[in-house]
Amino acid sequence: MTFLTVAWKNLMRRPTRTILTLGGIGVGIAAVVALTSLARGFEQVWRNAYEARGTDLVITKTTSRSPLPSPFDAGLGVEFAAIPEVEAVAGLMSDLMGIEESPTMLVFGWDYPGFLWDHLKLRQGAWPRAGVSNQLVLGSLAAETLGKKVGDVVQIEFDEFQVAGIFDSPALVENGAVIMPLPDMQRVTDRAGKVNFLNLRMHANQREAGIAAVRARLQERHRGYSALEAGEVAGRNTGVEVARGMSWATSWIALVVGAFGVANTVLMSVFERTREIGILLAIGWKRRRVMAMILIESVALSLLGGVCGIVGGLVTVKILEQTAMLHGKLEADLGPGLFGMALMVALGLGVAGGLYPAWRASRLQPGEALRAE
Amino acid sequence: MQVRGVTRLFDEGRVEALRGVDLDIAEGETLAVIGPSGCGKSTLLQMLGALDQPTAGEVRFAGRSLSGMRDLAGFRAREIGFIFQSFHLIPTLTALENVQVPMLECGGTRASRRKRGEELLASVGLTERLNHLPSKLSGGERQRVAVARSLANRPRLLLADEPTGNLDTTNATRIIDLLLEVHREFGTALVVVTHDPGVAVRVGRAVRMKDGRVILELETAPGEGGR
Repeated sequence: MTFLTVAWKNLMRRPTRTILTLGGIGVGIAAVVALTSLARGFEQVWRNAYEARGTDLVITKTTSRSPLPSPFDAGLGVEFAAIPEVEAVAGLMSDLMGIEESPTMLVFGWDYPGFLWDHLKLRQGAWPRAGVSNQLVLGSLAAETLGKKVGDVVQIEFDEFQVAGIFDSPALVENGAVIMPLPDMQRVTDRAGKVNFLNLRMHANQREAGIAAVRARLQERHRGYSALEAGEVAGRNTGVEVARGMSWATSWIALVVGAFGVANTVLMSVFERTREIGILLAIGWKRRRVMAMILIESVALSLLGGVCGIVGGLVTVKILEQTAMLHGKLEADLGPGLFGMALMVALGLGVAGGLYPAWRASRLQPGEALRAE
Repeated sequence: MQVRGVTRLFDEGRVEALRGVDLDIAEGETLAVIGPSGCGKSTLLQMLGALDQPTAGEVRFAGRSLSGMRDLAGFRAREIGFIFQSFHLIPTLTALENVQVPMLECGGTRASRRKRGEELLASVGLTERLNHLPSKLSGGERQRVAVARSLANRPRLLLADEPTGNLDTTNATRIIDLLLEVHREFGTALVVVTHDPGVAVRVGRAVRMKDGRVILELETAPGEGGR
């Protein structure tokens, strides 16, 4: 027998209470795992999209930090295209729209032709033909969601479009999106001549210089616009920030609620065992050891709950990813770091919840505790 | 062990459990403390075992004052073995595990603790009951586990608080036999609090307490506890 045997057998003394507490901690940790992985996944899919497009710098209007920033004059792109380090500029207009019976989908209007299209792989059909309006292409997931094939007609707002082709993209958000040439998008959204993003690509090995030059130009002539590197855009996205904030808030709530749950359970078990703790002190256990025993019980409880929570969180995420709301829009980021974080949260709430009961237990006077019933 | 002028007040002085008790217990001696309930016997035992601190007066063990001792838990673990009326075993642990609980405070390997636990239980005749929980043991068996536990760290002083109070005559006799045997074999000093005159007679030297005072010292002849 070791010291741990004593703590373990205490936890197993009231299995129902232990299991219920595990469930409480598990739900909290599952929420942390699910929300954090989705928030990170959200950020990751957008980062992937910019990387796949080969965009070095994204220009938007700073005045609005909404997920879909306000439109501005597409003519601005011409000015940046003239900067020597800049290889190409592509304007794009994006919006979220409900299409036919399907839930909200991302709809892009992209300068056509342009470098944005280069990374897409045509699976079926053809690209929209230059000069022909009311044609679009569907990402493979979008085609699946809408139940459309090449040649079908898709109604967007009051316009009818023909599906010219279906493509695959390395970026999940694009696979779940509808893409049309920019002029069509401007007409559908009633924003002629406007874009809400400019994507810039620099000449190879002039990337840094190009970024500096564009930033200098914005600073000098176009206050109110910002230039973000592809990696930053995802992080600055308000949606990503909200998701990240939500996941942090939930994690804290889970931590606090979990810590109270653990504290309650462990404190109850300390009260119930007053006489036993008196016995341990009487036969020579030091206060430190009694305290360690209670803390170990509390930490073991919360770590076990953490493991249950991780499993629960994984299952939740896998189910959520398949819902119509999220299918094709994001993929949870389930890195090992996340599980490490979840276990740290569990450990934290075990220590937080166990400290007070452990202190109470260690303060008992052995003589009095022995008289307790 | 020397007890000098020990007073213990409870409830802000309204209850006087002990009023100036003086007592000497020589190394390896046996002593029975008798008296009616509420006379302060158990409080005195708690003073001897450093479970409680006197309001006034002093308890010395081997020349050292307990009140000046920083590591009272360590003192209890090494020098004192406790036996209680209601056994006070840990209900979630088996007999063998209960006996090992005090050893956790005194180091040793897992194997050595187990071996010592098995030896101790064998010496109280419980070889067949090592892996039983206290709830599966009879009262007499539980008290024998408690005796084995009290000997875990080879203490110099055994303190037994009404050790036979919850036992029938046969088992009571057996426990007293066991305690006296331990005393003879290891030279362990033994203080037994009891209200059973029969027990007091067997132990040998006895003091009678009343209202928190030692009122009479009896040398019951011949006393199996004498050396």
